[in-house]
This record gives sequence, structure tokens and C-alpha cells, in this order.
Amino acid sequence: MNIFEKIMKVDRRWVYLAIGLAVSIPAVYELVATYILKKENTTINIPITPSPEVKKVYDFVESMKPGEHLFICVDYDPSSMAELNPMTTAIVNQAFAKDIKIIFVTLSQFGPGLVEQITSSLAAAHNKVRGEDYAFLGYRPYPAITILAMGVDFRVPFPEDYYGTPLDSLPIMDGIKNFNNLKGVIELTSGNTADFWITYGNGRYGFPLALGITGVMSANYYQYLSSDQLLGIIPGVKGAAEYEELVGFPGDGKAQMAYQVIAHAVILVFIIISNIAFFGTRKRKGGMEGGAQ
Amino acid sequence: MSTGQLIGNGIAAFLTLCIFSFLYKDNPFYKFAERLVAGVATGYFTMLLFWTNFIPKVWEPLYERHEIIYIIPTILGIIMWTRFSKKWAWVSRYSIAFYIGIGSGVAVTLALYTYLFKQLQATIAFPISMDVAGINQLLVVVAVLASLIYFFFSTPHKGAFGVASKLGIYVIMIGFGAGFGLTVMGRIALLVNRVIFLKGYLIALFGG
Amino acid sequence: MDRVKFLIPTFILFIIAISCVPAAAADIVADSAIAILPPNVSDVIVSDKPNDPGGTLVVEWILPDSAALAAMPIKGVNIYLSGNHDGPFELITSLPKSALHYECSDLQDGESYYFKVTATANGLESDGITSAAGIPSGQWFNTERLPILIVVILFSITAITFIIKARGGYDFYVRPIAGIKAVDEAIGRATEMGRPILYVPGLGSAADVATIAAFTILARVAKKVVEYNTRVIVPNYDPVVMAICQEVVKEAYASAGKPELYDPKDVYFITQDQFPYTAAVNGVMLREKPATNFYMGMFYAESLVLAETGFVSGSIQIAGTDQLVQIPFFVSVCDFVLMGEELYAASAYLSREPQQLGTLKAQDLGKVTVVILIIIGVILSTIGMSGFANWFNVG
Repeated sequence: MNIFEKIMKVDRRWVYLAIGLAVSIPAVYELVATYILKKENTTINIPITPSPEVKKVYDFVESMKPGEHLFICVDYDPSSMAELNPMTTAIVNQAFAKDIKIIFVTLSQFGPGLVEQITSSLAAAHNKVRGEDYAFLGYRPYPAITILAMGVDFRVPFPEDYYGTPLDSLPIMDGIKNFNNLKGVIELTSGNTADFWITYGNGRYGFPLALGITGVMSANYYQYLSSDQLLGIIPGVKGAAEYEELVGFPGDGKAQMAYQVIAHAVILVFIIISNIAFFGTRKRKGGMEGGAQ
Repeated sequence: MSTGQLIGNGIAAFLTLCIFSFLYKDNPFYKFAERLVAGVATGYFTMLLFWTNFIPKVWEPLYERHEIIYIIPTILGIIMWTRFSKKWAWVSRYSIAFYIGIGSGVAVTLALYTYLFKQLQATIAFPISMDVAGINQLLVVVAVLASLIYFFFSTPHKGAFGVASKLGIYVIMIGFGAGFGLTVMGRIALLVNRVIFLKGYLIALFGG
Repeated sequence: MDRVKFLIPTFILFIIAISCVPAAAADIVADSAIAILPPNVSDVIVSDKPNDPGGTLVVEWILPDSAALAAMPIKGVNIYLSGNHDGPFELITSLPKSALHYECSDLQDGESYYFKVTATANGLESDGITSAAGIPSGQWFNTERLPILIVVILFSITAITFIIKARGGYDFYVRPIAGIKAVDEAIGRATEMGRPILYVPGLGSAADVATIAAFTILARVAKKVVEYNTRVIVPNYDPVVMAICQEVVKEAYASAGKPELYDPKDVYFITQDQFPYTAAVNGVMLREKPATNFYMGMFYAESLVLAETGFVSGSIQIAGTDQLVQIPFFVSVCDFVLMGEELYAASAYLSREPQQLGTLKAQDLGKVTVVILIIIGVILSTIGMSGFANWFNVG
């Protein structure tokens, strides 16, 4: 067995181990530098340049005036928290800092816990009062029907908020009937609810819509940017890091970038080696077959 | 970190390592963690659905506000349960027909608008020119046409058609490569998040 | 003496005149102050908003002419609303001077509403112009989306025509698809190796198009499996899908005259949880060591986990899914992949069902139309005629 064939037959658990070690390098460095070498400021900062599609979302929120209403739909589950929580936190921080009122909704069954986790910590930090500065309407299944109903009146699918308070009793909902009364919608999702918001939300009611999505999905939604169906996209953890850079708020997104860079470098090396081995084995097999003829 | 948080995060750290153990091979720790998450998720979702949907959408309108009109969707929903009976499963078709009929009716117009008209307009609205934007537009148009030709099934892919089809599959593969790369980033992000969590837990555990 | 007599009344008149002048001047100044208001807008028109579900009126106006604006530039406009022509009017919004229309929603259909539009500048406000009555109403039909209706009708007619033609026995050509050609070879390989075939119908429900295509391909696989006397294992995620798969496989055995060889234990339900299902299927692959794995239907994050385990087991793998996000993973690991519409085309190719063939043909005709429209549209846009592209900018 030559070297190429040996490479092609390497047990993938060695690859897992290599990736695991690579990803652990920044963590080990920070631990050693902080607690053994007693250094300060041991976080590895990677320079980040915000991309245009992320900047559009940032500019949209930045252009809103204090007191205007922003609608944030949190449609991801704990398995996507790593990518989507940082961007959610950055957006909410930006909005609260500008005294923008936020209406939260979730169309994912795991959303309520996530929304409560985010709002409880960030609202306290910005002295925001539930019912006056922000509201959480709750969870409803069947995204298409819920979005269409919200376009008529939020009170149709959500007569009360998540905590059982009638919407008409909430000061934040004064004068807010449906999407026409909002500046725009930001949908944060790891599933197909993005399609529902584009089709039934923007397609039916025409409000400004931005997406915050996982890296897996990103490639499929850029076409909606060029057709102006979306005003911007925040793609994955890199997009979250870019948004944090724009907001000026150091969060989990930027903290992950050092790990991402090292892991991607290792993966690139593996891809190059395995492709060389792949073409090497193919060439060798082709040569052998040619000789046999 | 308080003692309660330490214990809670410790359980989370233990379960994280149980899932990671699958990378070596399937084992009881992985099976335990897998079944635990499935059970907790199912139980949580059932309760959530009950309190956020059944109560405000069925119980309160019918029992508390006496809005009798809600009896119609309630009956349609109950009928769906007949699917579990071989003898009465046919009754559920009425509920399904109602649901699919409304869904299709709403979806057709909006889907055509979103996925066809808007995309078509975006593809043809920009002129081709010799600057960067114009050349980009030319590439987009060529890629769209080649991809459409690849998915044409009514003629054999030979001659010029075959060349265009070949270009189409290359374009599609480039798109898939971009998607694959973004997915790698996403999956690594999940791993990184766990590593950062474990790091934080170690720091909290040893009094950092 | 005469001069004194003349001068005294003259002097008195003079005193009176002087004392009146400031008042008159003040009056003149006061009149000027009242008169210097911003110029009014003109032509205030109210109309029902077209193509809406009701409750909205559109108010339009024209700014004062340039001469009036030069005398006193306006800064903005105020919009007032009332149910009566004579008021009382309530201020509903203030807009910058660049705004030339306003949509007022949440009104009651069938009721009359009057709008007054005033111009504002330097803290002053013009008298305003009151509009005629506007009555909001909803429309049943959104005429802006007429092109969509035309497309739906044309496509439906085309699809029905092709389906009728297929039912009449017309043999429509569908180009061979590489993945389907490989199915027979893969089944033959399994027979030679004496190992079973694993068929995974995905995580979709029985209503999903990809799962329906999976049933068709399973029927083909089952038929071949019976011919070659090989075993096919079908682990299921959805109970309804399992019931249909059981029928499909049983039917294949019955058609070949070997119903006794069908083992219901080979087509079974595992669980409706994504990763426990994946773990179970991985276990089947590692234990049974199938020679060929089929992944047909809807797959999500478990796609690469399944395909990798199958690769490690040394199986030939043929996948087909319409989940765009998962196709790259299947492409990188599997031997053949049916991407997106190829899965539906494979289903039509194998089953030759009139409905599937007719719809496929209609879609192909639609693609030809789209290609022609793109070519025409790009040429017209390049030479500066953007009207054609705007036709697609519906509602």
C-alpha cells in the first residue's frame, strides 16, 4: 500500500482528534496565559471586516429612532445557539441602547426559553421594562398561518402575551396593530421558517425583512438580497462577529473567531492532503489498468 | 458561579462529553444522553403546546368566552386523531383536505411571487456592461441559464445542449461547495461553543 | 387773521392725522402679520386605496407653486381627519414637505372621511384645504397580481394537457438519469456479494413530494430485489411512511408470485426522533453490512452521519433528496446523487405515471419559457428598455 492509499484509509477518528485538539488550542492558551503565566487580556482578537449584507442590517436598526418598534422573531433551538445567540444578543443590545421598542415572537417550540434567557439578562442591563420597552408575545406553531394572521392583527394569534397579559394592556402595543405599524422584522432562525417569512411575510405584506441564519443555510438566501426581498443577512457565527464589531459590543461571536480560524486552517490542510491522495490513487489505478490492457 | 449553577453546568458538561464519546464509538453514555434529550424535548414540547395553543385557542374561547364558532376548528382537529384507527382513518381526510386546500391556495400565489416573479425580475433587471457589476450580472445570467438547462429532462444532453448542461453542473457544484464551506463553519461553531463552555466550567470549578 | 383761522383747523387736522397714522400703520403691520401664513397646498384628493382588503384611504396633494414657495418656503404638512366636512378635525400625522401623499389605514369600510391638509413653516400653519369625502372599501381581487393568475392558468392548462396525453398512451421522453441507471447495477452487486440492501426513505412525511418519489423508487428496487432474490431492509422514521413502504414491498413480492418470501420484519418503524433514528440506522449498517445503501427522500442534519457510516461499511451509496442544504454532503460521500428535481424526474421515469410525467413535461416547458424570458429581458435591459423587467414587479 503506497502513501496515497494509506492516507485514504486513515481512521477518521484521528481526524476528529486533530480537529478537537486544534479547536482546543485557543482555550488552552487562554487558560495557561491567564492562570499560569498570569498575563492580562489573553483573548485572541481576529481582525473582522463587516460584509455589506451584515452592514445593511446594522444600518437599518441604526436608522431607527427612539420609540420606534422593531419585531424580532427568535426561531432557533439550542442546537443553533452557538451561531445565533451572539447575533441576537448584539441586535437586542443595539436596539435597547437606542431606546427602540422590541416585540419578540417565536415560531419554534424551543424559542420561549431562549427569548426569556436573552430578555431577562439584557433588559436588566439596559433598565428596560417588560410591557413598556419590550414584549414577548409567545409561541405559536404553523408559521405560515401565524405570520398571515399577524399581518392582519397581532391580537389574532396572540390575544395575550407569553405571560398571560392581554396585548391591549401593554403600553408597548399602543397603536401597534400589525406589521404596518412596525419599522421592520428581523427573523433569526436555523430552520425553514426563513422561507415562510420571505413568502408569507415580505411577499404578502411587503415589510422590510432581515434574516439572521446559520452558516448551513446562508448560501441559499443570498438570491433574496439581490431581488430586494431581504434588506440584509447575518450569516452564521462570522456574521454574528461582524455585527458585534459594528455594534462595538464584544460577544461570543468575536470570541469564537480565533477558534474558527485555527479549525478552518486544519481542515484546509486535510482537504489538500486528501485531494492529493485521492488523485494519486486514481492515477495509480488508471496506470495499472492501462498496463493490464 | 453559585453552587446550583455549578451543579447544573456540571451536568451539562457531563452530557456534552457523553455525546462526544460517540466520536470514538457508540456506547451506553451516548445512548443515555441521546434518549434523555429526546425525552426532555418531547415532554417540554407537549406541555408548551398545551399551554400556549390548546388553552388560548380551544379552551378559553369555548369554555370561558363561549365563542361557539371555535367548535368548528376544534372538531376538525379532533377528527385528525381518527388517523390512528384503520376503520375511521378516512374521516381525517376532510380535515387534511381543509388544511391542504387553504394552505395550497395561499401558498401558490405567494410562492410564485416570491420564487419566480421576484427572482426573474432580479435576474433580468440589471443591464450587462463592461464594468464589475455588469460582468457580475453576465456571470449570474449564464449560471442561471446553464443550471436551468441541466435540469431539463425532455431532451438528451448532447451537442451544444450537453455543453451547456455540463456548465450547469459545474455551476451547481460551485454553489454546493460554497454551501459546504459555510456548513463546516457552522458545525465548527457548535464544537467551539461547547469547548468554550467546558473551558468556562473548568474555570468556575477550580475557583477561577 | 384769515391765515390763523386757516392754520388752526389745519393744525388740528394735522394732529389728528398724525395720531391716526401709527394706528393705521399698526393695522397695516397687523394685517401683514396675519396675512403672512405659509401658502396652502392645493388639489387635495382622497381616494380608496386600490387592491387592498379595505380600511385605507390615500390622500394626495400638490405643493404650492414655486412663486409662493419662494415667498415663504414650507417645512412640512399636517394631515387632519374628520368624519364631517366641517370638522372637528383631529391631527393624525405630520410629514416633511417632500411627502406628496399619505395612506391612512384602520378606517371603517363604508364610512365617509374628510381630510384637511395644511402647510407648516416657522411655527405657522396655513388654513388648509379640505378634501371631498373618501369612503374606504376592500377589493376582492388584487389586479396587480394578474400576471401571477395568468401564469397559474397557463401552467395548469399545460400540465393537464400533458397528463391527458400521457393517459392516452403517449410515450413522453425522459432523459436517462445516472443515479437510476446505477440502481440495477447496485442491486446486482448486492446479490453477488450475498449482502442485503438498505433503503432509507428519509425523515419526511407521506405528504412530502420527496417521500412520494422515494416510494416510487422503492417499488423499482423491491421489484429488482425479488427478481435477484436479495433482501431489502427499510427502517422508517414515520409510521405512515412505514405503512406505505410495507405495502410497496409486499406488492412487489406478490406481483412476482413470491408473497411468502416477504418478511414484514425487514420494513419496520424505529423512532420519530432524528438522531436516535440515525443512530439506529447506523447500527443496522454496522451489523448487517449492506452492499448497497439507498437514501431517498427528505434528509436534514443526519445526512452526512448516515452517508459516512455507509462509506465506512464499504457500501455503494445512491442518494436522492430535494433538500438543497444536504445535497453537498451526499455528493461528497455517495457514489450517485439525484439532486432536487432529478429525484422527481427519476420517480416519473421509473413509474411512467401519467400525472408525474405530465407535470414533469409542464415544468420543462416552464423552464423553456423562463430561459426565453431571461434572454429577452437581459437584452432589453442592456439596451435600456427596462419596462419588460418591470412587468414582473407585481404587487
